[in-house]
Amino acid sequence: MNNESIPKPPLAGVLYGRICYWIVLIGIFISIIGMIIYFTSDGCIDRETLWQGIWSGADKETLWQNNCTGEDVPHGHWYFGQLGDGDALAMLGVAVCSVAAVIGMWAAFGATVREKERVYSIFALIVAVILTLGAIGIISFH
Amino acid sequence: MGELAGIDGFLILMAISIVIGIVAVLGGVGGGVVFTPLMMGFTAIDSFVIRATGLLVAMAGSLVAARPFLFRGLANIRLLLMAAVPYSIFAVIGALLAGYVAESFGATGDAIIRLSLGVLVVGIAALILFGGKKVEYPDVSNVDSITERLALSASYYEQSLDKVVHYKVAKAPVGILLFCFVGLISGLFGLGAGWAMVPALNLVMLAPLKVAAASSKVLIGIGDTAAIWQYIMDGGIFVNFAVPCVIGLVIGTLIGARIMIRVKAGFIRYLIIGIMVFSGIKLAWDGIDKLRSGTEEHAGIIINSLFDGVSNLI
Repeated sequence: MNNESIPKPPLAGVLYGRICYWIVLIGIFISIIGMIIYFTSDGCIDRETLWQGIWSGADKETLWQNNCTGEDVPHGHWYFGQLGDGDALAMLGVAVCSVAAVIGMWAAFGATVREKERVYSIFALIVAVILTLGAIGIISFH
Repeated sequence: MGELAGIDGFLILMAISIVIGIVAVLGGVGGGVVFTPLMMGFTAIDSFVIRATGLLVAMAGSLVAARPFLFRGLANIRLLLMAAVPYSIFAVIGALLAGYVAESFGATGDAIIRLSLGVLVVGIAALILFGGKKVEYPDVSNVDSITERLALSASYYEQSLDKVVHYKVAKAPVGILLFCFVGLISGLFGLGAGWAMVPALNLVMLAPLKVAAASSKVLIGIGDTAAIWQYIMDGGIFVNFAVPCVIGLVIGTLIGARIMIRVKAGFIRYLIIGIMVFSGIKLAWDGIDKLRSGTEEHAGIIINSLFDGVSNLI
């Protein structure tokens, strides 16, 4: 290698990357456990009816028919109340994957504040807030 | 189809997704951009469900890939944070628009989405085939004052050259505008948008090709996270379809990345372009067909009501 030393990557990036990687893997693991349970017992939606509905092109209203939540189409974090069901647990895994960048971005915000990068702290904060509002359901069509 | 509702169907879907993941990586595109048009063009699955799953697939693959890119400094975190603001805002708007179209326009909305996505996918294929020649290390002679103030220049260790590459970036304001458009498309159609981000970063903002590719891969994870929650909250994710696709695409991406070092990907690139053109034309045709039948249905209703009205008068 040349006499120049390898540049140290910014802390914000390293933290964001590590957090996202591990949280997604944890999410996928939870989803797999959930799917195993779903295959061996009943879920929130009947497995065969749902599978047939998906491949026959049924819309989401039809696919959610007779689900366990009591709503026509459950909006928001429906799986939290049904974690005994395999499909709800698998959905929790999907949600964990989807929250990875939210947590990662807050960590990146913390790192930019620590490294006194004001403009980038503001950018990270804006993105973290948008992602958080989406994740908790405040930015939503409903 | 019902007999495949168990582990068999899960494994078959996962195997198909692994193949899509490998082929996509070898062709130099994200899994989402192959997955969504292919599923929409060649299966009967509802477009809202496919777009939600496509977005999830693109997001998961990108988040897993973020760690090595950021750790090696290939992805520029400052560039990412700057681009993530317009990209995530417009990805949310795109996803909200998708929900609105699905709820308000029903079959007609679905037909319009299919038609527009078909045209877009053919356009992306043309961009990959004929798009301007990408420059490995663009020459940056002039940096505007806004970009200068944002201090986007950085450096990384380039293994193939065994040296540290110092680079500058230009035209941040134009880049921001482009990321608004890219975010909207990504959220609306459920696509990862590396096909648009790499040229935006490399040809417009003049970032080195590797930096542009790595940064766009990481950025997809941020923007798609902003959009995916709208689909989750709207009941668009069904685990027995989404989970095998996500696992398959992530495995396929990892395998593809290993194979890529050893094989010449020229043929695969043309294969991807072929798949995209074929899926795009099929999608556009489906859209036109659905729009036409919808129009005929509407016309039929209008003619019937006129006929009833005239009969009543008589």
